[in-house]
Amino acid sequence: MGELRIAAQSLKMSVRSRMQYRVDALVATIAVFVRESANIIVIYLALLKFDVINGWNVNELLFLFSILFLTYAIVVSLFADLRDFSRMIREGRFDRLLVRPRGLLFQLILNNADVIASLGHGLLGILLFVLSAGRVGIQWNLVTILYYTGAIIGGVLIQGGIFIFFSALSFYFVETGSIRSIFYWNMRKFAGYPISIYNRLIQTILIYVVPFAFVNYFPAQYLLRKPDMANYNEAYIYIAPFVGVGVYLAAYLFWRVSVRRYYSTGN
Amino acid sequence: MRAYVEIAVKKFQDKMAYRLDFFMGIVNTAITIVVYLCIYRALYGNSVEVDGITYQMVATNFVITLGLSNAFGYNEMFLQDKVRDGSITNELLKPVSFIFRLLAENVGEGAFKLIFHFLPALLFTMVHTRLCPPQSALHLLIMFGSVVLGYLILWLLSFIIQTWSFWLFSVWGIITIKNVLVNILAGTLLPLWFMPAALRRLISYTPFEAIYFTPVRIYLGELSGAQLLLGVAVQVIWIAVLGVTANVFWKKGVKKLVVQGG
Repeated sequence: MGELRIAAQSLKMSVRSRMQYRVDALVATIAVFVRESANIIVIYLALLKFDVINGWNVNELLFLFSILFLTYAIVVSLFADLRDFSRMIREGRFDRLLVRPRGLLFQLILNNADVIASLGHGLLGILLFVLSAGRVGIQWNLVTILYYTGAIIGGVLIQGGIFIFFSALSFYFVETGSIRSIFYWNMRKFAGYPISIYNRLIQTILIYVVPFAFVNYFPAQYLLRKPDMANYNEAYIYIAPFVGVGVYLAAYLFWRVSVRRYYSTGN
Repeated sequence: MRAYVEIAVKKFQDKMAYRLDFFMGIVNTAITIVVYLCIYRALYGNSVEVDGITYQMVATNFVITLGLSNAFGYNEMFLQDKVRDGSITNELLKPVSFIFRLLAENVGEGAFKLIFHFLPALLFTMVHTRLCPPQSALHLLIMFGSVVLGYLILWLLSFIIQTWSFWLFSVWGIITIKNVLVNILAGTLLPLWFMPAALRRLISYTPFEAIYFTPVRIYLGELSGAQLLLGVAVQVIWIAVLGVTANVFWKKGVKKLVVQGG
């Protein structure tokens, strides 16, 4: 129970520190929302002209995007410190956690929430879901709702696991920003669209290396059953919610092994 | 003038020192190009042309526009940081105009990115995608001039918003929104050919069309003769309008500036 109280307290602190400058926080939230909407607006305008992209219409694409935004909103409210971990090490702030009587990952996950990004992505995700979910022919019943919930949790675990993995790499290399930029941020750019539009190499990376395909593409395929699914193993859509657990556990083990190597940069 | 050239050259050399940044810049640009070319390929499906525009034209437009927009990116929080920590006063004491000094520095950085990010990304694209050749050598030459004018429009837009740091706690949000507008309305992601007619007409009354689309249309030969002259004239008019506006905001801002402590 104590753990939960700490969690609630620390979330409250994150929100309050961000709300010190109210107007600025509001403008920043709107800015994140607008920035992330740009891709959506562009694909929306494009589909006004072209109707479909590889068989996906505009509502189905919005649905695909909504999963990406909803999961990311949860990811940044939990894993913000792990996203910015190399900076934390450089500034010596990681040392503080070492002397506290709680697990390291537990502290990292609870310590900071990127409230602004979470609100911006979350609001957009909800908006896209509301706009699309009723228009893509999904029968919302107990099974699909359960699957959808599982897929969202799985998507959060996949991205959280990736952040933990890259954080653990900071114990080996001084600068990990660029490798993360290639493998996380760029892959996320790819993931907004049906992966079947890409060449083999990119598809392979999205399925087996940085498994973004299991965050939104395969879960959306379970619910939408678009013809381009014929290119992939049918089993992928059933294991999608569980891939997150595997990725997270693997990242966790890697973290446990790596954290032993830590020597402070300070003093 | 010599001083500003020196500043630009210095910045160019500064940038050369960061090899990793250089490598990452190419990779990021190349990846973004691949994503969008895949999207356009998939959108075109089996059709050869849509509204008279071929996939090849779209790819050409996209590579030029994206390459330029990447090359033209720079630290837009520069003025805000200087105002916040008070070091803006040092800048004001220097015997060069702050506006031209900042422009020179950004041009140096842009030139670096143009050569070391844009050219490799362009070559990389040409390996797997056929792009349209320029209409003629003359069109190519005029396009280079038009690109410079487009850069100035973009730069002035950014500078005007940066000067708002004198009044606002943070301009980050407004700059972000401005960049979204540029990305959409200047046709960075979706070529303006495919915009709904009403939106397209609206855009033609804004400076956005004159940033990338005018140079691209000159390159492709869509603008020739009188139309070409008109396109370039519109660019020059926007530079004059935005330049005067920027100067007004800058002067007012400096007058209002109060730096605490010292």
